[in-house]
Amino acid sequence: MANTIIGSSIVIDGEITGDEDLVIQGTVKGKIQLKESLYVESSGVVEADIETQNVEVSGQVTGNMTASDKVELKSQCRMIGDIKAPRILIADGASFKGNVDMDV
Amino acid sequence: MADNASTIVGPSILINGNLQGDEDLTVLGRVEGNISLTRTLHVEESGIVKADIQVRNAVVSGVVVGNITASDSVEITDAGRMVGDIKAPRVIIVDGARFRGAVDMGDLDSPRATGELPARKVGSLTRTSAQSALPPRRPMPAPVRAATPVRAPGPITPAAGRRDAPIGAKSSEDETRAIGARQAPVLAGKKFKKKVVVKKKV
Repeated sequence: MANTIIGSSIVIDGEITGDEDLVIQGTVKGKIQLKESLYVESSGVVEADIETQNVEVSGQVTGNMTASDKVELKSQCRMIGDIKAPRILIADGASFKGNVDMDV
Repeated sequence: MADNASTIVGPSILINGNLQGDEDLTVLGRVEGNISLTRTLHVEESGIVKADIQVRNAVVSGVVVGNITASDSVEITDAGRMVGDIKAPRVIIVDGARFRGAVDMGDLDSPRATGELPARKVGSLTRTSAQSALPPRRPMPAPVRAATPVRAPGPITPAAGRRDAPIGAKSSEDETRAIGARQAPVLAGKKFKKKVVVKKKV
């Protein structure tokens, strides 16, 4: 199955749902619901509530995240919002403000 | 005070109350109350801390219940378990760590500090001669979940095997081509859906 890439000059305002990986290099506002992985690359800006299996953030995210597997905040990323996932990784250099819930 | 001064709370020790100081503290036992240090707190795998903590750096490999305020960094290692809030400009949570609480890194617009992190448990322990008296290190607890792939871009589930190229490889791709390629299957999917609906009506 192909990956979806939202290029850096694209702005989406609305809802994205799907069953395949999504790579965001542009801007998405609204809601994202996936059964696979979401990758917010360093140029990507997301203002959305996110529900996926995996999330990898290198860019900017504002909103709440729920992942059924893993959330990874990479170095240089910026995230404001709550994270709920069984596995959460925050790298050195990442900026984050919000709640973390790993079901401890 | 010597620069490398360090206090160790041994595995059979329980401290209940306020703990204050200007040197590194390594907790192998149990501390309850308040901890206030101008240096680094290491909570080792056997260590349990139920306290509000104010330090420069904290490295959690054991159990912490309470809030941590650090002027530099807080790190939860793969063996660390923590429930409570963290306030520090640098917060690192590695895979395998368990944490529930709020994270506040302060002003997100200010550039992240870099510089060296406090030495991890191995480093902090080998410094001290008291180590020979300590029991051998506990083996790592069996991973509850599958191990993370080593920097592999894809998730670990078999379903993710479909991802054909690593993320890094994609960045140089022609965006317009990628978007065009993406539209085609979406449209096809819509047409297909419509057909199905029509069939049902007939």
